[in-house]
Amino acid sequence: MTSVESGGDGGKWLDAHYDPVAGLYTFSSCVDLADLSGDGENRLVVGDLGTGSSGMKLKVYRGTALMSENTLLDLPAGLVAFFMDLHEPRIPTTAVASGPCIYLYKNLRPYFKFTLPSLEVNTLEQDVWQQAREGQIDPLTLKEMLESIRKKADVPLSVRSLRFLSLETDGLDEFVQLHKQQPIRRQTVITCIDTLKKSTADEDGVSCLVVGTESSDVFILDSKAFIILSKMSLPAPPTMMDVTGQFDVEFRITVACRNGNIYILRRESDKPKYCVELPSHPVGLVRVGKNVLVGCTDESLQGFTQKGKKLWKIVLPAPITTMAPMDLPTRGFQGVLVGLANCEVHLYRDKNLLSTIKTPDVVTSICFGRYGREDGTLIMTTKGGGLMVKILKRTVVFDDRDSAPGPPLAQSIRLNVPKKTKLYVDQTLRERESGVAMHRAFQMDLSRVRLAAAKAYVKALESSLTPMSASLSEPLKMNAVVQGLGPSFKLTLHVQNTAACRPVMNLAISFLYDENLYRIRDPYMRIPLLVPGLIYPVGTFVDCTNDKGITDIIKVFVLHEGRSSPLLTAHINMPVSEGLALS
Amino acid sequence: WWTSRWAVLRSFPSSASKKKGFRLFAPAAPELPIVERRNWLIHQHYIRKDYETCKVIIKTQLQETNGMCEYAIYVQALILRLEGRIQESLELLQSCAILNPSSTDNLKQVARSLFLLGKHKAAIEVYHEAARLCDKDWEISHNLGVCFFFIKDFKNAEEHLNTALQINKHDKTFMMLGKVHLVAGETDKAIEVFKRAVEFSPENTDHLSTLGLLYLQLRKYQKAFEHLGNALTFDPNNYKAILAAGSMMQTHGDFDVAMNKYRVAACAVPESPPLWNNIGMCFFGKKKYVAAISCLKRANYLSPFDWKVLYNLGLVHLTMQQYASAFHFLSAAISLNPRMGELYMLLAVALTNLEDVENSTRAYEQAVNLDESNPLVNLNFAIFLYNHGDKTAALDQYQEMQRKVNILQDSSSNLEFDPELMDMAQKLGAALQVGESLQWTKPGKDSKSKPHSATLAKSPSAPLGTNQALGQAMSSAASYNKNIQLPAGTVASRLGMTPASPPTLPAPHNQQCDGSPSRAWEKKKEAEE
Repeated sequence: MTSVESGGDGGKWLDAHYDPVAGLYTFSSCVDLADLSGDGENRLVVGDLGTGSSGMKLKVYRGTALMSENTLLDLPAGLVAFFMDLHEPRIPTTAVASGPCIYLYKNLRPYFKFTLPSLEVNTLEQDVWQQAREGQIDPLTLKEMLESIRKKADVPLSVRSLRFLSLETDGLDEFVQLHKQQPIRRQTVITCIDTLKKSTADEDGVSCLVVGTESSDVFILDSKAFIILSKMSLPAPPTMMDVTGQFDVEFRITVACRNGNIYILRRESDKPKYCVELPSHPVGLVRVGKNVLVGCTDESLQGFTQKGKKLWKIVLPAPITTMAPMDLPTRGFQGVLVGLANCEVHLYRDKNLLSTIKTPDVVTSICFGRYGREDGTLIMTTKGGGLMVKILKRTVVFDDRDSAPGPPLAQSIRLNVPKKTKLYVDQTLRERESGVAMHRAFQMDLSRVRLAAAKAYVKALESSLTPMSASLSEPLKMNAVVQGLGPSFKLTLHVQNTAACRPVMNLAISFLYDENLYRIRDPYMRIPLLVPGLIYPVGTFVDCTNDKGITDIIKVFVLHEGRSSPLLTAHINMPVSEGLALS
Repeated sequence: WWTSRWAVLRSFPSSASKKKGFRLFAPAAPELPIVERRNWLIHQHYIRKDYETCKVIIKTQLQETNGMCEYAIYVQALILRLEGRIQESLELLQSCAILNPSSTDNLKQVARSLFLLGKHKAAIEVYHEAARLCDKDWEISHNLGVCFFFIKDFKNAEEHLNTALQINKHDKTFMMLGKVHLVAGETDKAIEVFKRAVEFSPENTDHLSTLGLLYLQLRKYQKAFEHLGNALTFDPNNYKAILAAGSMMQTHGDFDVAMNKYRVAACAVPESPPLWNNIGMCFFGKKKYVAAISCLKRANYLSPFDWKVLYNLGLVHLTMQQYASAFHFLSAAISLNPRMGELYMLLAVALTNLEDVENSTRAYEQAVNLDESNPLVNLNFAIFLYNHGDKTAALDQYQEMQRKVNILQDSSSNLEFDPELMDMAQKLGAALQVGESLQWTKPGKDSKSKPHSATLAKSPSAPLGTNQALGQAMSSAASYNKNIQLPAGTVASRLGMTPASPPTLPAPHNQQCDGSPSRAWEKKKEAEE
């Protein structure tokens, strides 16, 4: 036996067993506890989905050991242990629902297989296959006809026709030859299974099986003769069920469906009596007493009456992975266990959180009940395939705390407000004493800054220091690019005439630079006539004659012939020369 | 170990499961696997948000059925959409529609994808088509309503949301309908909707806090507090409700209780500007000015363009007699919100203290021009004018103040004015030798309530629950603090005007050199709202 720290709620549960590599891939619907040998010791029955496509097994655990394994032929959608007859000794039968069949195991041996009746087959479809069999139509025509049937028909096509439609042209004939002799069948798949007591509420009374199918039906099957006692239909395929009552007296089936609604079926009617539209998909459905608790994908747990009226809603800290009821009849305790994606299992009675169990991995299935000879055993499997068994301490008392647990913890956390510093106090005092002077000094300086900025701006405009010429006769724009690592750089000036239609003539470029640092090959260049809109590159080479890594600004002037002031000016910050000039 | 199991699954070829089919019923022709055989498993993983496993199973299933499994494609499309690949998801949904043309679920999801892509009109068309296949579907009506809301067709939105509510009541629909009414400016209808919502699900904290905020806007404080309190009972960490309820507590001077609530919010949302503004004003109410300034500065750092925070900063600095700093905060607030009289009034007070009479006068003039209902503005201006010897103009302002007071009294029967304001006004009246004195109603604690109304009314269309609305709530609370604050700091007596009767004000105020500014404080309080 492995003992693991039980984390958050160590006081209430004993760690009986933890096998992190049990290799179980299962859901709560595929786990049950039952006295399979009639010796008063409960076994754990698990329908293991294997890899999800192969290796499906029916596993039975006794204590901490795997007692037996039976290979399953298909994915188990659900598993229940129930009494199907009154024979002594009272040994329950295990029913495993997979595909369209229910496999019954007695004494851990295969006992009986029940297959759900086939669904109605489209008559048109049957006709065309008949014609194909008699050779009246070729496969291509068959395909066309099936295609048109699919578009209009109320009754969906069979697997065979669907497969046929998905084939490429060259495989059609072979397919028809292979399959045409077989009768067409449409089968459904069981999605969930539960039991319903036949006529007595006794613990070991004979039960019927309640089965939900992909075809949106719910069947109640007599477990002796395996005949269908009742058939009810739903608007969508069921995903989970909760059954209460007795078939012969009165019963109530609460079904969560794939469309996100919950329907409540009663004895008298083959249609749902009540409907609950949930804001998000239900993940878990558990009945506690007269209320139905539903865990939804929006991280909430909601309570409903058995007529579907909403009672309450609580928000959980993480998405729900699974839910299971926790009944302790000896103590009159009823609660619900909710597995969460944050590796916790919460125990709720109504909306009150009673206990939190921390688990080493995300729990995927939960089962609470009598295991071995221990009444309060909690069995969980994890996402990684682990199996965990915990036992409720017999001394544990779940105090019914109110849902309002007083002020939240955060209320006692001090606010993060910085302390006042001496500097701050000094500054404050100074401002109080000489606030007027400070204000005046500030206003004065502000005015000066504004004045300086305005002056600089005017000066720039007046002396054409900007790389944009604002003059009406020669609106020009220029930018410069310096390329190279040095000591030679290529300097390219892009000059553009931004006027709408007038060309500009008689322009020249000259440079102002420190002759100790740089040498420019063409210190004076004439610019050709500038057509409006086009960008003219004008290039020359600059040699850095200094090897000390000093850089300087080169000023570029665009001049107009016959005018002394430049049209525009650009300042080029030269990069550091990386190489040495050849002397 | 886990990964190894799935590695096996991924590498597993689709034929393996077919073999199982053979073994089960092995006649001459191979039995074809049922197309839907893994639907339940796909669904189980999908609702557990285990999308990786889900995709692996879908892939296996599609290989096995040659892509004919509608549900697998459907879930694959939903997962793709969750991953943000809406276009690919739409294509898959289209192939679903080929497999099963009459499925409303498909159409609904197509419409939803279109909606998420922002193609609201296209989404509406698809929803209408889905509605033809199945009428009386709550989801379709609700989503139609949402689409119409986004294209600003509020009338249709309202209609569809109401239809949705008739079919089935959902919290979401109530919320949306309330929002439609609010955006359309129909606060009364919105309140009706939220009332119904609260009746339907009495523990929904969103509805409760929104309804509380609406009542707060309408100044039905009793009801507002009731609903906000309920919201906090069910969810003590509800940030919206904490802020609104806290601001109401501040209004009533329960600074310690409000601070307790704010501490909870500060843990949940530590970077909320309105929260720190309110905390700052709580400290202000408790006369811890330095703490108030640091909280307000934090609020200002988090939301530098919120003029309310700047207003409060200006006010606190005025209280601290840091007039130069106050000037900067107030002028920043004015450049963000140049249409508020009280701001100019505060600026004028700061300028008066900075001995800039000329600008102070201009600020007062601007304040008087902009303000429509606050007597404080005129009173402060009158005092200022009186102190600078312009008795005629002061008298004009005094009469203007009387006019505003009368209007306020006419419009509301149980209006209460700030006692300090009345005291100052009476003293000024005496100094100006105005015969009859104003008829003030009994002064009460709740003096601020009047001034608030003006500001609250200004932005009625502000969506609920946004920071703006909260800001309003909080600022109103904040303003109140200041009111309380003033008596201590302000000391109206400073003014040269009122001679004898030493007011009931506490002693410290005498220390102030400049009398006149004190009134200004009072005005500030109001302005904050």
